[in-house]
Amino acid sequence: MKKVIEVKSLTKEYKGLRAVDDLSFDVYSGEILGLLGPNGSGKSTTINCLLSLLKFQTGSIQIFGKSMSPTAYEIKKQIGVVFQEVAVFQELTVRENIEYFCGLYIKNKKMRNEYVEEAIQLVGLEEFKKFYPKQLSGGLLRRLNIACGIAHKPKLIFLDEPTVAVDPQSRNHILDGIKRLRNEGATIIYTTHYMEEVEILCDRVIILDKGKIIASGTPDELKELAKIEEKVSVEIEKISTEKLEEMKRFKNVDDVKYIDGILVVTYQKGKNNLIHLIDYLKKENLQYNKIYSERPTLNDVFLELTGKELRD
Amino acid sequence: MTVFKAYLKVLNKNKALVILYTVLLIFFASFNMKTNSVGTFVAEKPNVLIVNQDENRGITKSLIQYITQNSTIVRVKENDSSINDALFYRDVSYIIYLPHHFRNDFLSGKNPKIEVKSTGDYNASLASMMLERYLKVATTYREVEKDEASLVKMIEETLDHQVDIEMTSKLDSNQLMKARDFYNFSNYSLLAGCVFVICFIVASFKDENIRKRTMVSSLDMKKYNQQLLFANGLFALTLWFLYVLLSFILVGKSILDFHGLLFLFNSFVFMVVALTFGLLIGNLVQNKEAIGGIVNVVALGSSFLCGAFVPMEWLPDFVLKIAHIFPSYYYISNNHFISSLEYFELSWSFVMNIGMLLLFGVLFILITNIISKRK
Ligand SMILES: Nc1ncnc2c1ncn2[C@@H]1O[C@H](COP(=O)(O)OP(=O)(O)OP(=O)(O)O)[C@@H](O)[C@H]1O
Ligand SMILES: [Mg+2]
Repeated sequence: MKKVIEVKSLTKEYKGLRAVDDLSFDVYSGEILGLLGPNGSGKSTTINCLLSLLKFQTGSIQIFGKSMSPTAYEIKKQIGVVFQEVAVFQELTVRENIEYFCGLYIKNKKMRNEYVEEAIQLVGLEEFKKFYPKQLSGGLLRRLNIACGIAHKPKLIFLDEPTVAVDPQSRNHILDGIKRLRNEGATIIYTTHYMEEVEILCDRVIILDKGKIIASGTPDELKELAKIEEKVSVEIEKISTEKLEEMKRFKNVDDVKYIDGILVVTYQKGKNNLIHLIDYLKKENLQYNKIYSERPTLNDVFLELTGKELRD
Repeated sequence: MTVFKAYLKVLNKNKALVILYTVLLIFFASFNMKTNSVGTFVAEKPNVLIVNQDENRGITKSLIQYITQNSTIVRVKENDSSINDALFYRDVSYIIYLPHHFRNDFLSGKNPKIEVKSTGDYNASLASMMLERYLKVATTYREVEKDEASLVKMIEETLDHQVDIEMTSKLDSNQLMKARDFYNFSNYSLLAGCVFVICFIVASFKDENIRKRTMVSSLDMKKYNQQLLFANGLFALTLWFLYVLLSFILVGKSILDFHGLLFLFNSFVFMVVALTFGLLIGNLVQNKEAIGGIVNVVALGSSFLCGAFVPMEWLPDFVLKIAHIFPSYYYISNNHFISSLEYFELSWSFVMNIGMLLLFGVLFILITNIISKRK
């Protein structure tokens, strides 16, 4: 596969604080790469370095096979960026804003008009074309922000937490739009601290913590890293400590916890774990309501690797 | 073009401000014209006090007569403290002390020293012009005519002739006062309107996030800044042109001469300074409320202190001293100078004032550059 971005030992320090620490990774053509990490793990800093917005101490960055710099306009032409903070003119309408940012790249008026309309459609703002930013809800504003970043049909797109503080409806719109962009052939770098989004969206994930890569791979590969294979949760009224201890000695069981009326049993591997558990509960005459089995999440991976939760 | 077009759109959203300050200017100007046309003549006759220590005969008498005809003679007790009070309260603008033996000395070919005291305002300068004119004419004829009675007759005939000219020039000076007041007030409109709008627009374009977004685009930041500067310059130029046009419409054709040209030149330089000031504040402050505060304080404050609303000569000395720190002071001083000109002449102080204005402009540009480099 073709490399679109090649980052080698990137290190960025803010006065004594190492925000990005010896980072090396590649991004391949046509993929959605997720940068996952908790607040302050260096996601935005990494992106700003890639875009030459920040000077960094060491490392090299190649985009489309060329060295990236503030004046590499040929590279910049093919890049679209959606920053974490909304960047739009309060004095311009939705359409005018998109047209302005698109116009920074596309000089041909007819082509630009087409692109602007397509972008409006992609994020679903057709009914709000004439609205001013302050008339939009938070979710719609984020959608506008995205439309402004991608209207010029870039080949490489950076999206920095585009769904932060967004209602579910807007979020779905945004995620669908991003998938469409990928299907149209764009390469996408997507940062977030929502692991669910990463699982739905990303082909490959890099997990960051304190500016370092702690794991990378496809979502499935990463889940292998979690020692557990299956997690069963049971809603149960009451259970004695002896029984919990007894269950811990079952085959394949990794851990047993009882918190707030929910019994959580995690298994390292094996088959028929759920059936075994249900048999046991029946035999012991323990009343339970709901029972469900899950595969481990990236959160479990993060927990396993760092000993802390991804989201607080 | 993209940046320029967006500029126009943002400007369009802010047009209310431009209109507001322009209407204020028109309103002030037309109001001022009305008050001026009533009782103009009284205002143009300086209040003069003549302290005559000579006999009231011959050439002395003639001189006193001439001054009396063309001014309002005030009676004040002839002691120092009364005279100083009268000067301070502007009951009198100009005091002439005719020395003992003035007549004899003058006729014998000497140039006796005439002491004067003056408030230094426009009326005082009228009186001083009158005195100078009489002495100039008298000194010229003294060389050819030795007989006192004939000399006095010759002087009076010549000066009588000039009264007509003086009348018309007085009328003109009335129009010039209007033009001066218009341009003085435009100090406020230019500062408030132009600076306000430029600040707002620059602040929008220099907004941290929008700047970042622009920097990652394929647009050369140099070109971006050039387009912005061009748009701002064009806006300021248009506004200035509009005001110049307005001044000609409101004041009439009496300034369609070198006066108009000088006013035009002076206000052009000031407009450039206002532009650089707008760019500075726009770059310095991004918060729109803060911009409103700063511009209001600077525009209103400097307009008051420098005499944009009331003539400079009504302002106390210490206020005028403070006013030196504002560019408006030099602009308004020049307006006063232009309105007092009878014929085309560039004084050193006019040139100096233009120089000071340009210096302010350069200073603002330098600070703006330092600030944007730091960011
Ligand atoms: N301009 C700056 N000056 C100093 N420190 C900074 C600056 N910007 C970021 N940092 C620090 O660098 C670290 C990484 O920040 P960064 O914004 O890259 O994190 P992030 O992963 O994007 O977090 P979030 O999810 O909150 O957006 C943080 O500890 C942050 O406090
Ligand atoms: Mg961030």
